[in-house]
Amino acid sequence: MKALIFIETKDGSPIGTSLELFTAAKEIGAEAVAVSVNGKEGVLEEDLVAAALADKAKAENAELILLSATTLGKLVTGRVAGRLGGGSVNDVISVAVEDGKVAVIRPVYGGTIREKIVVQASPAVISVRGGSYEAPEDAPAAETIDAADGDIRTKVVELIEEAGEAVNLEDAAIIVTGGRGMGDEENFQLCAQLAEALGGVVGATRPAIENNWIGRSHQVGQSGKIVNPDLYIACGVSGATQHVSGMMGSKYIIAINKDEDAPIFSIADIGIVGDVKQILPLMIEEVNKRKA
Amino acid sequence: MAYFITDDCKDLIKDIRNFCENEVKEQAYEAEKLGYSDEEAADEIIMEILGGIQEMGIGTLPIPEELGGPGLCRIDRAAIIEEISKYDSGIAMTFMANELALDSVEIAGTDEQKERCYEILGEGGYGAFCLTEPNAGCDVSNASTTAVKDGDDYILNGSKCFITNGTIADFYVVYAITDKTVPAAKGGYTAFLIEKGTKGLSAGSIENKMGIRNSHTSDVVLEDCRVPASCILGEVGKGFQVAMGTLDIARVWCGIAALGVAQRAIDESVEYVKQRVQFGKPLAKNEVIQFKIADMQMKTEAARQMCAYALTLIDRGEDFSLAAAEAKCLAGDAAMAVATEAVQIHGGYGYSREYPVEKLMRDAKIFQIFEGTNEIQRLVVGRATIGKI
Amino acid sequence: MEILVCIKQVPDDSVEIRLGADGQPDLSAADPQGNAFDTYAQELAVRFVEENGGAVTVASVGPEDNKTCLKNALAVGAAKAHHISDDGIAGADAAVTANLLAAGIKKIEEADGVKFDLILCGRESTDAIGGEVGELLAEALGLPFVSDIVEAVPDAAGLKVKKELESGYLMVETPVPAVMTVSKPDYDPRYPTIKSKLAARKVKIPTIAKADTGISADAETPKVVFAGFEEPPKREAGVKIQEDEPADAVAKAFEIMTADKVL
Repeated sequence: MKALIFIETKDGSPIGTSLELFTAAKEIGAEAVAVSVNGKEGVLEEDLVAAALADKAKAENAELILLSATTLGKLVTGRVAGRLGGGSVNDVISVAVEDGKVAVIRPVYGGTIREKIVVQASPAVISVRGGSYEAPEDAPAAETIDAADGDIRTKVVELIEEAGEAVNLEDAAIIVTGGRGMGDEENFQLCAQLAEALGGVVGATRPAIENNWIGRSHQVGQSGKIVNPDLYIACGVSGATQHVSGMMGSKYIIAINKDEDAPIFSIADIGIVGDVKQILPLMIEEVNKRKA
Repeated sequence: MAYFITDDCKDLIKDIRNFCENEVKEQAYEAEKLGYSDEEAADEIIMEILGGIQEMGIGTLPIPEELGGPGLCRIDRAAIIEEISKYDSGIAMTFMANELALDSVEIAGTDEQKERCYEILGEGGYGAFCLTEPNAGCDVSNASTTAVKDGDDYILNGSKCFITNGTIADFYVVYAITDKTVPAAKGGYTAFLIEKGTKGLSAGSIENKMGIRNSHTSDVVLEDCRVPASCILGEVGKGFQVAMGTLDIARVWCGIAALGVAQRAIDESVEYVKQRVQFGKPLAKNEVIQFKIADMQMKTEAARQMCAYALTLIDRGEDFSLAAAEAKCLAGDAAMAVATEAVQIHGGYGYSREYPVEKLMRDAKIFQIFEGTNEIQRLVVGRATIGKI
Repeated sequence: MEILVCIKQVPDDSVEIRLGADGQPDLSAADPQGNAFDTYAQELAVRFVEENGGAVTVASVGPEDNKTCLKNALAVGAAKAHHISDDGIAGADAAVTANLLAAGIKKIEEADGVKFDLILCGRESTDAIGGEVGELLAEALGLPFVSDIVEAVPDAAGLKVKKELESGYLMVETPVPAVMTVSKPDYDPRYPTIKSKLAARKVKIPTIAKADTGISADAETPKVVFAGFEEPPKREAGVKIQEDEPADAVAKAFEIMTADKVL
């Protein structure tokens, strides 16, 4: 099976979850060609990527097109399939070949159930959820291609940057997430302090973001980022399905919550029943002590 | 309201539940807690909640269909009030007090007076039923508020207390003595319809209550309040009959709001016992707990059926006084018993302000007290059952 | 501006759905409702026509029961509703749904004598979370497409929209007609009133049968097929630390973390 892999880039470098696609292709014994797509001033990135990938897939006779299920990846998957008469599936966690057909597993209903989908039409255009595969040690380089001048009807006239730094939750090894239980914006800073001490990044649940304690790029969960760090520390997080489905893939989970019946404890490797306002300063102190 | 409600109403209740989950549940709980330290800030939250409920048109429920109301029967209306009461009985009380004030007008008022009140409610306004006085609770004969005829006008003086919507009402139904020489029940008492802004009518001090703290309960003070005779509801001297007729209906509404408290206590308990693990299993698997929940459910459902029966009698134009007393008493007792049991089931947490059942227990108590204490209801039921001795 | 909002009926997303004993998702506790993102799209549309004139029509593909979410939509500002029946199609995937919508929309335009300037979908549904129907609909209709918008204003080009990015926004100009998906604007959809809901319940919503849409055999053939549900693997709970003194709890946690080589 011939596969075309789309390598998404950020500031010129491939994003980690794109590289995982090489492993996905290798596991089903597909021969892979990887491409990145050049941007163009004033044009929506998804329009360029959809056009370029569709043309490239046709030229390469690709039967499988793999993308990372990022915001961009998910926006392109259906369109590439639409243009090639293929079948598309977004946000899968595994890719297999059964009787010559691509079969995938994907979460539905906020992650409490998974469904299996078999792609009947060819090519199969699949976006894969980050963290579903390990990225290879040394990934092959991707060819950079341009989209043909086509029928671009929309025009990007302005980029509005949001205050606050960009955060890369998907590739982070350590994430300290604060939820509603942090109480207020000031206490939420304790999460940032612990993250800093550990060399990790800050995550947040939807309630924390709705309270404006931190920008929405920090949201972990079904409607935010899907993360898979080595260590995930959930502070004042109750464990709503919406959130849990975004961090279930973490290798080690520590939860701190004053409600001993909080659902988050049922998935935590270590659950600390206690007040985040008392526990977190002590943890920050301990981490700093160990570093010294 | 489990039974007899229409499909239309079932659909409306979904909307109301959705609204209350998002806009009332936590907000009302916060306002209640905040009210102890910062009344003004709490009231701001409460007024916002009320504003949202008004936008949905809850205030228009009592208005007849031909005058622009939604045209729902009393059982449907009650189901809606119960649903709101589940989220906060103080908030529900605000709309119950509207019904109460309006009932007096509907019993005795002219078409013009009724239409004026419907108009006020239609615009999101509130009504207040002003009967109780410091020395006249269940015993109206002790009332001291007076209305003295002066030319074509009446001049009212006196003080009413425990008046729901006292500080926010747009129309007040005020009961006053017009003839001191005869007992209130025998022609000395008269009802007046007075609009907000009338000189001499003002809201007095706000009651610092144990429960239903999100309702606006205050004194209403009348100081040389001059009103034209056209403000009289019904006939001069027939006030006692109007008040008693109003209270009969009010008792059922009171029961409905109590049911909301009871149902919420059940819902909170069920959620808690499913989640809380003790001795290696969820509390819900414990038979003692199952029996407690069963009793809570049966008490509430029995009271609900009694309320539904009383409302059906009202809608059918039949005599409902006895049924109303039974409904109010059963529902008030059920709310208190069920809320108390809910606290017991929650154990130490139940006694904490961090869990909502503590508030429910405080909210429940009033339903055994106001609109005729449950002792009075038992007196009514006992006398009616025994008959002439 | 004439705006069409496509609404999917989904189970209540606040209810946790698990597989039942029969191996199917147990939806018994989850009342059907309009997909959250579709309700955001409708609110955006209603606000747009309140500001700039025009009307909002809503449409839903699916069984007869989908009229529930359409009636809810009529109660919060939609002027007209159409149901497009998928009766006769087994296992419609995103592509078939988009094709059926595309064919149905042409029928709605004929029936109501309108031409839609803007067609809106939610960015994704809360049950299947595929997020493909909007873009596939744009492909099927051959119209410009912008995703994840949170604002739209009239503009010399047609429309100027604010598109949400992971961090920040893009302002995009597009001619109309166009297809767009809507993310969560910074306002919530309005609530129905008792009166608007009772009135909406009385409306007879017309159904467009699949056969009447003129959809081609190819367009109604699913490209992907469903092959079964499964439970995700369960994660086991580890150690729960309950100490009276926070310092003891933290000390114990670090002991375990060190033993597990987490640090």
